[in-house]
Amino acid sequence: MKILLALDDSARAMDEAVRLASERGAGLTALFVLDTGWSVYIGSDFLLGSTARSKFLEYTRDAEFAQEHAALELVRQRAQAAGVACEVKTVTGGHIADEIIKEAAQGYDLLVMSRPFRRGLEVVRDAPAAILKAAPCDVLFVRDQPAPQA
Amino acid sequence: MEEKKGLAHILAIVPGLAVMVGTLYLLRTFVEPWMKDAVVFGQKGWLVQVLSLNYILLSIIAGIIYRNVFFGGKIPDWAEAGFRTTRLFIKSGVIMLGSLYTLQKLAKVGSIAILLISTFVFGTVFFVIWYGKRIGMERSMIGVMGASCGVCGVSAAVATSPGVNAKPSEVALAIATILGFGIMTMFVSPFIGKALSMSDYQFGAWVGTGILNSGQVLATCLAFNPTFAPGTAVAYGEIWNVVRVISIPFVVFIITTWACKAEAAESCATGEKMSLTKVFKDRFPIFVLGFFGMTALSSLGWLGAEGSNTLHLMRDVMSWIFGIGLVGQGAYIDFRELKRAGGKPLRVGLVAGTLKYVVALIVIMLFVSKDASF
Repeated sequence: MKILLALDDSARAMDEAVRLASERGAGLTALFVLDTGWSVYIGSDFLLGSTARSKFLEYTRDAEFAQEHAALELVRQRAQAAGVACEVKTVTGGHIADEIIKEAAQGYDLLVMSRPFRRGLEVVRDAPAAILKAAPCDVLFVRDQPAPQA
Repeated sequence: MEEKKGLAHILAIVPGLAVMVGTLYLLRTFVEPWMKDAVVFGQKGWLVQVLSLNYILLSIIAGIIYRNVFFGGKIPDWAEAGFRTTRLFIKSGVIMLGSLYTLQKLAKVGSIAILLISTFVFGTVFFVIWYGKRIGMERSMIGVMGASCGVCGVSAAVATSPGVNAKPSEVALAIATILGFGIMTMFVSPFIGKALSMSDYQFGAWVGTGILNSGQVLATCLAFNPTFAPGTAVAYGEIWNVVRVISIPFVVFIITTWACKAEAAESCATGEKMSLTKVFKDRFPIFVLGFFGMTALSSLGWLGAEGSNTLHLMRDVMSWIFGIGLVGQGAYIDFRELKRAGGKPLRVGLVAGTLKYVVALIVIMLFVSKDASF
């Protein structure tokens, strides 16, 4: 069995993917998608000079790298603590959902991701909804907070 | 998308550009003339006269339909390079707009514009600081919203965010709010302007002061009156726009200084020393100099007298350049993204934006006469 974990900053989704991989003896791949969609997102703005524009794009890129570093470090630690081998992968793309779907189509049995999915421009998009429509494998959405007790 | 170079890059532009040009051609040749003749509610040309559905708004609507309906929310790879030229088209159009003025006329109206813009820019910034603190917004985001509601919408948000170290996800929400509000005002303002029988001067001054996103000021003025000539709404609105654009570096400097004052050193930018000169150098949009260059040529009479063939041709070209650019602008509007605007940026944006829009309307109606200075 092969499990794909789509990374954001959710520790619960990481824990769930690691637990499943450990219980089922499955291979675990953690995927981080660097969001390169900012240039299009601010495309309607034409007044800014190119220096200000490129400074902003650099700024968002640095923020992406910082989040990538933190997420990969966190998932490595958790996998190591549970004794699960975890392959980490980083890809770039203008739409995070598309990249996750593309990777999930590479023979994975289960995709694990957080809902809401907090990555880059996903705050104004809805990766879980897009993935639900087109996922090539089973999908497990993990809530970012535990369910309230009844 | 992979970056292409040389001839491949030029060829990559062709499909998207062809869509933009072809769309405008169809709108101007068939759709707008049909709308001018169509009888709605017993009135000939109601769609154009009352709803201002001239080729300018139709161009934006067409772009929006491409993105949200035909393209399924994403500009496809085959069209992206072409649609990206929209910035070039509109910037060129803005430079050419400089030909509508002489330096004397610019100075005459410019002083009123500077007074109104300064009052509203700083009034809005102070309001956002007060309101943002009241609802517990982060200082960095107060800075971003202060700049974007105060000066130039998306441009100001983009220019301010790195300096105040605002979270990109929050900036995305701020941009969605500003764009959403701007689109709404873009369609509503011409209707209000006509209902209140505003003159071109009053309308240009109002939307130039009250609309958050400067990009939409031009489109709104052209929706009100699509003519490119001295004394039209776009001629006045653009003066307000230019004053706003020039003020970006100053406002960014003031807001960044304020936002970083009480923050820990590591949370503001990179700790490098900030100076007005550096902010000005980084944030000043050079194309504005082109606008003034055109005004200088016009003042020297090098573009011909009013009514000359050169000016006639130039204004015709301008109308096409803006129309093509606005199809592209529409294609950068994704309603699904705007719909997800929320949180504190939405609250601040809506309250500050509405207040600015309404107060600007009242001030213009009370204190700015219908008669223009030129």
